[in-house]
Amino acid sequence: MFGMKNRILLPTIILLALYSCIETQNFDQYDDLEITPTVEASILYIESPERIINEASGQYYYSQDFNFDGLSVDAFADRVIEGSIFFEIENTTSKEFKPTVEFLDEGGNTIDTIDFPVQQPYQILPYYLQVPYGPGKQRSIEIIKNTSSIKVSVLIEDNSSVSDLPDPKIIFRSNGKFRLRLK
Amino acid sequence: MRQVKLVLWIWILGCATLTAQNKQILYDFTEIPQALMINPGMSTDFQWYAGIPVLSGISFQAGSSGLTVNDLFADDGVDFNVKVRERAIYGMSTRDELSGTYQVELFNGGFRGRNRDNFYSFGIYNEGDAIGYWFKDYAILAFEGNADQLGRKFDLGHLKTRGEMLNVFHFGLNKRVNGALTLGGRAKIYSSAFNFSSTKNKGYFVTNQGQNNILANTIDADLELRSSGLNEIEDAIDNDSSLLPGILTRRLFFGGDLGFGIDLGFTYKLNKQTVITGSLLDLGFIYSSTDVKNYTIKGNATVEGIEVILPDAFSNSNTDFWQDLIDEVDALVPHGTNNNSYIYFRPTKLYGSIRYNWGEPSNNNMDCDCNYMVSKRKDYTKYANGVGGQLYMINRPRGPQAALTAFYLRRFGRALALKTTYTVDKFSWSNIGLGLNLQAGPVNIYVMADNLLAYKNLADSHYSSFQLGLNIISWGKK
Repeated sequence: MFGMKNRILLPTIILLALYSCIETQNFDQYDDLEITPTVEASILYIESPERIINEASGQYYYSQDFNFDGLSVDAFADRVIEGSIFFEIENTTSKEFKPTVEFLDEGGNTIDTIDFPVQQPYQILPYYLQVPYGPGKQRSIEIIKNTSSIKVSVLIEDNSSVSDLPDPKIIFRSNGKFRLRLK
Repeated sequence: MRQVKLVLWIWILGCATLTAQNKQILYDFTEIPQALMINPGMSTDFQWYAGIPVLSGISFQAGSSGLTVNDLFADDGVDFNVKVRERAIYGMSTRDELSGTYQVELFNGGFRGRNRDNFYSFGIYNEGDAIGYWFKDYAILAFEGNADQLGRKFDLGHLKTRGEMLNVFHFGLNKRVNGALTLGGRAKIYSSAFNFSSTKNKGYFVTNQGQNNILANTIDADLELRSSGLNEIEDAIDNDSSLLPGILTRRLFFGGDLGFGIDLGFTYKLNKQTVITGSLLDLGFIYSSTDVKNYTIKGNATVEGIEVILPDAFSNSNTDFWQDLIDEVDALVPHGTNNNSYIYFRPTKLYGSIRYNWGEPSNNNMDCDCNYMVSKRKDYTKYANGVGGQLYMINRPRGPQAALTAFYLRRFGRALALKTTYTVDKFSWSNIGLGLNLQAGPVNIYVMADNLLAYKNLADSHYSSFQLGLNIISWGKK
């Protein structure tokens, strides 16, 4: 009986031992893994009807700091590599104006200024601007990492003319699109 | 958050070392006492048996239906990022899983009662089980982000996982009703060390064109991760790992969450040579009330950044619009933790088989001095050959999973039996298994492994399992 067992068992074990193997694996490849998603979201939306501008006495000057900690929180600032901020300005009023956007750090210091060209009146098609940040770009990504608030300013000298377009207003839109390094 | 990490680690480590639960080679292998554990109604002729403590039944399995180690880590010159993207991120579906189970019997014994038709078995085993389905949309979101994906809904329901470690205390009765029918049942008390589950998640994340601003990010979530027993373990790992064995031991021996379950089974002889069997295992639940911590996120919100509409905003010139936005989202999509106790059900398993036996019946008068191996049961005839099919099903978070097995059993006297199986399931269509049972005097040894074809490159295997055990068996004096 045990002879029978040996005749079956031993060849089985030997065959399995000879047969089984593992091809060479290179687990160091994990070090090459790069996880760099690109995320995007809106940042700031400002809407002002022409009526408000015309209600101002003298020049209309609007300037406001908006706290925006979304860029400087560690979860974002520690991981962001590069990206862009997109601006979109719509002006259906009868006024021309020149807006400015400043990025301020936590201490309230201006760390970046974006000077927009003069926005023409009756601008039905929005004006677009992409401002890139990161390596090889004009602006450093450190600006984004340190931005704690955004200041929007606009000076409008004409406070009397009235647009004949329906519901005339100035609309300022913006969104960010950034690449992060998760690994 | 630290607990979520702990769950992830348990899942990853568990799944890397554990196995799937189908024990198709052991099933209805009537020479082996542990086969009673997967069919308490198995036809049996033991007088008594005693498992060697800790060695009587050890089984490990690991399964990865969508990806193998070789797919990613083969030294093939292909860029690793390309492999991850093509083979994992986009190559796997949400039905693909990484799963595993292990069982170690602490002790196991059985004896025939005064009524010779009754056979009792009892014991304790330790079990760990973990499964995680491929969280595809979460992975795509992590690797690609949401940019340039307008209108694409990332399904938050793709997160489905659960796992546990527990001790099972069991007592079973196997009863021969008549010459054709044997019934069996087993009562189980579960003592859980820990468990986690996140299986009923719903919702999505989508980026659309904004109504006012350029983009609108929307989240609609109903997510929950339930856990029991992980807090104390986590504290021990962080602060004093020497406490960990004590915590686990206490919980595994009635100091943690308790539950109750049953196994049922039968064997029925359609005729002298044809047998059908079936069993239903772990029909039970555990009440989790120890060290419970559940994480929830529920609600929906759409965000278009900070929105300032004049002149309304003039009246709130000192408003912190950013903080308002955060508060608003927090209110719309509240997230938090709670300590609510809960009940969870064990992964119930179902086996069924049909077997046709033929060939020379085993010779009771063997040419060895082994009268303890001779059955007194006149109706218990073991044929030299058996062939048949088996069905296995298990209840999983994404619904039942099934496996079909064809098998051939060959007995060489009563000292050696081999069973070979061919199994088709979600892990493999070429799973050939082999089980070997040796009876050397009263000493019973069995070894089983499956998916043997994958042994030519184990790293390229979607599934592998291994079982072994050591018992002392008596069939009574002649």
